[in-house]
Amino acid sequence: MGNEPMAIFHFPRAILHIDGDAFFASCEQSRNPQYRGKPLITGKERGIVASMSYEAKALGITRAMRLLEAKKACPELIMLPSDYETYSLLSKRFYAIVKRYTPDVEEYSIDECFADLTGLRRPFRMPYIKIAEAIKRDLDTELGFTFSVGLGPNKVVAKIGSKWKKPSGLTAIPGNRIHKYIENLSVDKLWGIGPATTAFLAKQNIFTALQFARRQPEWIRHYFPRPIFDIWEELHGKYVIPIDTKPKESYESIQKMKTFSPASNDPAFVFSQLSKNIENATMKVRRYKLAAAEAVFFLRTQQFEDYGVEVRLSRPTAAPNDFIKMAEVVYPRLFRAGSWYRSTGVVLFNLVPDQSGQLDLFGASVEIQKMQKLYRAVDQMRAKFGKHTLYLGSSHYANKFAQHVGERGDTPERKSSLLRGESRRRHLGIPMFMGEVS
Amino acid sequence: MATPSPGIFFVSIYEIFGCLLTGVHLDTYTVRTMTSLYFGKIFSFYRQKRRMPTHSEIAKLVGFKSRTAARKLAEKMISAGYLERDARGRLIPKQAYGEARVLGTVEAGWPSPAEEELIDTMSLDEFLIQNKEATYILKVKGNSMHDAGILEGDMVLVERGPQPKDGDIVIAEVDGEWTMKYFRKQGRSIFLEPANKQFKPIFPKEDLKVAAIVKAVIRKY
Repeated sequence: MGNEPMAIFHFPRAILHIDGDAFFASCEQSRNPQYRGKPLITGKERGIVASMSYEAKALGITRAMRLLEAKKACPELIMLPSDYETYSLLSKRFYAIVKRYTPDVEEYSIDECFADLTGLRRPFRMPYIKIAEAIKRDLDTELGFTFSVGLGPNKVVAKIGSKWKKPSGLTAIPGNRIHKYIENLSVDKLWGIGPATTAFLAKQNIFTALQFARRQPEWIRHYFPRPIFDIWEELHGKYVIPIDTKPKESYESIQKMKTFSPASNDPAFVFSQLSKNIENATMKVRRYKLAAAEAVFFLRTQQFEDYGVEVRLSRPTAAPNDFIKMAEVVYPRLFRAGSWYRSTGVVLFNLVPDQSGQLDLFGASVEIQKMQKLYRAVDQMRAKFGKHTLYLGSSHYANKFAQHVGERGDTPERKSSLLRGESRRRHLGIPMFMGEVS
Repeated sequence: MATPSPGIFFVSIYEIFGCLLTGVHLDTYTVRTMTSLYFGKIFSFYRQKRRMPTHSEIAKLVGFKSRTAARKLAEKMISAGYLERDARGRLIPKQAYGEARVLGTVEAGWPSPAEEELIDTMSLDEFLIQNKEATYILKVKGNSMHDAGILEGDMVLVERGPQPKDGDIVIAEVDGEWTMKYFRKQGRSIFLEPANKQFKPIFPKEDLKVAAIVKAVIRKY
């Protein structure tokens, strides 16, 4: 295999990928010095590790590990319930800081974004790498924890860069140096290449990203769908996968899943958990003025086995009653006596815009309109008095008790340290430093 | 667009009318007096008659010979955001600013003659917070900054990032806890000084970790 570069230009486009280092855990460590330098995880309320600090990572704690195992690996581990309010406040600040430099920012996830710096060298009077440095400096100092940054001619290469050195790395990969970076990079580390593709490539004796990139385009196109070929082209320095700066306006599916503890083998209790999820999912569906005609209900046992069943309705709806009626019908097939369950969930999909007032063959539209009127009122009431002031009888058991009994029922510290004038439901939109300030 | 600057507005009226009509060079003071005179006259007409003057009435009020000049004055005031026209082209007053003015109240959206120096307003958020993304809040425990007027239970707005200067009140990290003290830098020595005689200054053994600088104190009653 030759040593010729993938592309001759450095940055025909300049794409940045920025990744918060252990984002949730860092949010916690940066606001409370008591936690700094210590192994810490978030996700206590879920019973599994959602995010771990680098200190915890070093002790072998991984994502989605169960708390008991994590605690065994590290007895002095600090376990915190997730404070999503604070994480999302800091996430918005993260995007806002990057947008000081460029309007073209793709908010990829709560702790990751892509940014297009193309053409900004002149206004800033700096090379791209210096702009990237400036963005990183602002993020690190103003948010109080570190970010890893990758600069490349496209998204795939930028992503290789941000992973290259973590935490707090800044790696620029110009087009003519891509081959150096992918030489020893295992192909499954590429963004968008999953286990199935990796397994297939292994059969073709392709293990590194460079081996993949050196294959002829005809061969790739013959064996793989378009997205994989896009990755191949981006490894050759082309800009193929566009930056998507539009905010999320609609969903393909909406999922609600909740874990409860202790686990339960009571069919009525588990059903009410499912019912609560259906209520929450349809509430979100209504918020986006959508309706769904298909749903999957599922239960998860203590052994982490999932049992699901799919249902289809005669017309799209956004009322929980319709789905709960269906759930009642299929529930006996789902619930096995003697099994212990830890979570329930629902996915609503095939979402379509809610077309109210459309008549149907059997004259049910009057009923539908009544239902819509009812839920408009329900949503207004919930907006005013809290999400769980009004719920269906079938969700009663789930609403009556805390989601988690005992230690896992802990709430985030911010929720219990309200400022004068704040209510339980309305907080000041400014992140708070925690711990004693004397 | 930013709210129009009153200074520029007055001078431009002067440029159009002052120079054109009188042909005499006037200094800034005179221009201001003249324009506020225009304002005052139109304003008191509105207060008396409860309606806006027509172009010819404006001309009469301010002493222009032509209605075109009066119309130009009106156009200028429209583009500055003080007036607008209704569907039939008649003048109506308009509140240019969405927020309360600092200087007293203004009747019917009119700048009063006393308000020659119009001031743009800001929200309390803007007033207290300079760098939105770097600002955090915290609640004070203890009385070590008592003499600086920061009491237990106060809320403090702090900003991450800037280098502290001698005399700033800072949030520093000492032995795994936040502490709020005066930042003192004398020559090479750096220490933290409380604003309460019962507490001792802190001389950091290693490097001092300053997390943020105090920008405002909020106390709600």
